[in-house]
Amino acid sequence: MKKIKKQELARLLQQWQADYTVLAPSRATEVAAMAEWDGKDIGFLEWYRNTVIPPKEVILPNMEELFRFQKEGAGYRLTAAAPEAKQLVFGIRPCDARALAIIDLVFQDTYPDDYYLSRRQNTLLVGLGCTRPCDSCFCTSMGVSPGESGDVDLMCTDTGDELMIEGITAKGKELLEKTGGLAEASPEDGSRRQEAIEQARQRITRHLDTGGIAEKLQRSFEDKEFWERIAAKCITCGVCTFLCPTCYCFDINDEKTAAGGGARFRNWDSCSFAAYTRMPAENPREQKWQRVRQKVCHKYEFYPRLFNIIACTGCGRCIRLCPVNWDITETLKSVPAPTTT
Amino acid sequence: MKDWEARLRTEARKLLEQGEIEYLIGFAPGSLKFTTTPLITGNKEDAGLLVINPFITNNLSVFLNETRGRTGIVAKGCDARAIISLIQDNQVAREKVFIIGVPCPGIIDLRKVEKLTGRDRDELDDITLAGERVTVTWDGQPREFPAAEVLRDDCLDCTSPAPREYDLLLGEEAHAGAAAGRGKSKIRELEALPPERRWDFWKNEFSRCIRCYACRQICPACFCERCFVEEAEPHWVSPLPAWQENLLFQATRIIHVAGRCVDCGECERACPVHIPLRLLTGKMEDIVDELFHYRAGMDKNEPPLMTAYQPEEAEDFIR
Repeated sequence: MKKIKKQELARLLQQWQADYTVLAPSRATEVAAMAEWDGKDIGFLEWYRNTVIPPKEVILPNMEELFRFQKEGAGYRLTAAAPEAKQLVFGIRPCDARALAIIDLVFQDTYPDDYYLSRRQNTLLVGLGCTRPCDSCFCTSMGVSPGESGDVDLMCTDTGDELMIEGITAKGKELLEKTGGLAEASPEDGSRRQEAIEQARQRITRHLDTGGIAEKLQRSFEDKEFWERIAAKCITCGVCTFLCPTCYCFDINDEKTAAGGGARFRNWDSCSFAAYTRMPAENPREQKWQRVRQKVCHKYEFYPRLFNIIACTGCGRCIRLCPVNWDITETLKSVPAPTTT
Repeated sequence: MKDWEARLRTEARKLLEQGEIEYLIGFAPGSLKFTTTPLITGNKEDAGLLVINPFITNNLSVFLNETRGRTGIVAKGCDARAIISLIQDNQVAREKVFIIGVPCPGIIDLRKVEKLTGRDRDELDDITLAGERVTVTWDGQPREFPAAEVLRDDCLDCTSPAPREYDLLLGEEAHAGAAAGRGKSKIRELEALPPERRWDFWKNEFSRCIRCYACRQICPACFCERCFVEEAEPHWVSPLPAWQENLLFQATRIIHVAGRCVDCGECERACPVHIPLRLLTGKMEDIVDELFHYRAGMDKNEPPLMTAYQPEEAEDFIR
């Protein structure tokens, strides 16, 4: 394990900038997001708790050009640009890093997606453990520790004046080896790091018991009355899904240009929307309660059944950003328990 | 406000018990500090959950299509105007709603509190509004500020904090905007800029729009069953979140709610990326007022703006 004084962080990121486009938490556009680092500002170490826009955006952008098309003779000429820029995301939180591992199960393992994989492979994740979790955070209930992560390439822990840096993947360890200006961490540093991790864990105040949740949801699937009650105050906007670090639904759109050409794009879509999947056919979930049920069950029932993991990391964005304070932890607590008949 | 809350609970329970209303739409405590959440229920026991405090942000009229029978609804001044507007537009029948009016003292804007205190909302201990002063406590220390510094902009601009239509009024006092016209001053500033700079301003704002449509979904005036933005043929606006398309979507949406927008400010509050949408709705309101001498949701017997023509209306926009 290596370490660096926090005030030296800019020098470290500058070093990495030589080989990577470095992204870091930024408030340049009013709300916190991962954005290209300006080469000097490390003020985020003070204000940053988590981004509003989840870092999934770096791998699965809200608007992504897939290819261009141009009429040529009797057909079309297609040109695709694979995203190849090498980037380094500094400061990703353990919940959001786990979320990418969860999306990998679809875009890497089930339906290998060239665009996703190209970005994923060209992106180095440097995690930063939480010191001030929000009151909406419930990561510890979802198997995530706010202070540590195995889902990143390098993991940093804030011990007060210093950052401890640990290599996690081979890629991360390799970068750590060739990075200059770092000091070796002592065994005392190791225990300070452990203390910070434990403190972060204790600062999580929201808890959810997920035991048997998939089975409970499965049994409640047809319980229209329950779902109608749960869905009543939902306005079916896309806040919770778009800003969810594990939601990956997308839509495909062509934008034509006048001269017989154009481009095909992929953009975020949401199962909350009434117009969802209306393009190929129709939305099978016409009623609001059906769409709310889909959102909950996809994460807590279908995903566990398919991949043996819940597609939620407890980042809490859906709770703190919801315009009506629709709280998924409250919904899950109120799912009727299976009757024992 | 505590008195109003107690009275509300008693009256709401009675209304449900006596079958005067079948459903109730009000506010219950939220799951996070300083939040409330819409309560939509037919159960009289839920009346005990009702709250009235300076955090009852939502305009509940957006939920009136959720209930099938006669519905009791808690309404602040702006919410009551939204209900009136829905009545004018034949979206809600007057006899189907029982309006429980709240003479609104103004609603607290938590983003303003965060800016003022330099603390996130969950790191504050308490926020208490009392008349023209607000007391915010953090690190165990209470600190006092003028209420105008933390009230929502739309509350500061509000001219009808007392509901204009109600079946039951919870109290008498209501303060008209503590610093009326404040939000409008931002519009004047923007108007004073040369067109290119104004264009840059909106480019910057709409570049971060993610097209979650929270602005549309939270808006009681956006009651179309199918929105133009979702039409595939013709494609009026691209669903891609490019800034020009985002601006076009929003400009069209706002023109569509001209004469219906009551300036409840919910679109701006709901926006997760903080786009200052009230600059657009406010300007649109000014134009409607100037051209047609019309303000939305003031009188349920008035015909909706776009269905009526008065000979004295300005015609200089027809060229």
